[in-house]
Amino acid sequence: MPTAVLSRPATGAAIDFSAMSDERDDSPEELTEVEHELDAVDGLASRRGRTRSTLPSDQLRSLFEQQAIPFMDQLYAAAMRMTRNPADAGDLVQETYVKAYAAFGQFEQGTNLKAWLYRILTNTFINGYRKNQRQPYQNAIDDLEDWQLGSAESITQGRSTRSAEAEAIDHLPDSDVKDALQSIPEDFRLAVYLADVEGFAYQEIADIMKTPVGTVMSRLHRGRRLLRERLADYARDRGFTVPEPATRSKR
Amino acid sequence: MTDCGCDKAKAELEEYLHRELSAQDFQDVTDHLDNCDDCSAEHLVGLTLTLKMRTACHETAPQELKAAVLAAITSR
Repeated sequence: MPTAVLSRPATGAAIDFSAMSDERDDSPEELTEVEHELDAVDGLASRRGRTRSTLPSDQLRSLFEQQAIPFMDQLYAAAMRMTRNPADAGDLVQETYVKAYAAFGQFEQGTNLKAWLYRILTNTFINGYRKNQRQPYQNAIDDLEDWQLGSAESITQGRSTRSAEAEAIDHLPDSDVKDALQSIPEDFRLAVYLADVEGFAYQEIADIMKTPVGTVMSRLHRGRRLLRERLADYARDRGFTVPEPATRSKR
Repeated sequence: MTDCGCDKAKAELEEYLHRELSAQDFQDVTDHLDNCDDCSAEHLVGLTLTLKMRTACHETAPQELKAAVLAAITSR
């Protein structure tokens, strides 16, 4: 796989994208809104001159049901981690599918449908759901120092300590992992989820989250480190011997 | 054998895990992990974390949601 950093287009594009997406909120027509949203996240395709599919609507619908509907479990799982509750997750997924269907004629067959759906999901979440519950520090989260996040440079040291840590993580219940994910800042959580659970490439995550690849890498790194620290706490609570690292700052 | 040493390996472990390194860098880190218990233990923690998240986050969308989505599409 080519490295994301090398294939990254000009970073200026990312800034344009977010500016565009801010303007589209009050668009009266849903289809227009989705088109703007997709243009905002997929500038390359629109510059190439994307053409509307000429398929009849019943064929478009059956293609959509065949191709897009099978991603529902995955989109729902992501929506659960985003919204943190089943009711909002269900609404978010439904809204995502309705928008995706409205724009499906513009989807370029043969390109990455999963990434396309995740862009719509993430945009819908960020522009809708998150807006209602936005925490004031959220925008500045990338600027926080590590000590402010309660994370230290070094997690555990030494081979045997690390082996114990890996084993403890492996034995923790799934609920601990979800709780730990929920506890880290949202932008970090999204980056970690998209990379580790969904296996998206850094460049794809950058496109989905509309941030430069460098920001993705930083969020991933810090998110994973926080997660690891929380899981070590849970493991100790459950009686695993994961030594407290000496360098850790207190929270 | 192109072992890259601990400093480079530790700095690149996360990109290694996510398959974001060039072929050469990937090989260098792989060779180092073969030779270094400390770094391979660190890599194991990272790998375990990723695999654990994948398992833990698995969900099945409720049947009602599937039905609602299909109904919403069909009505358009």
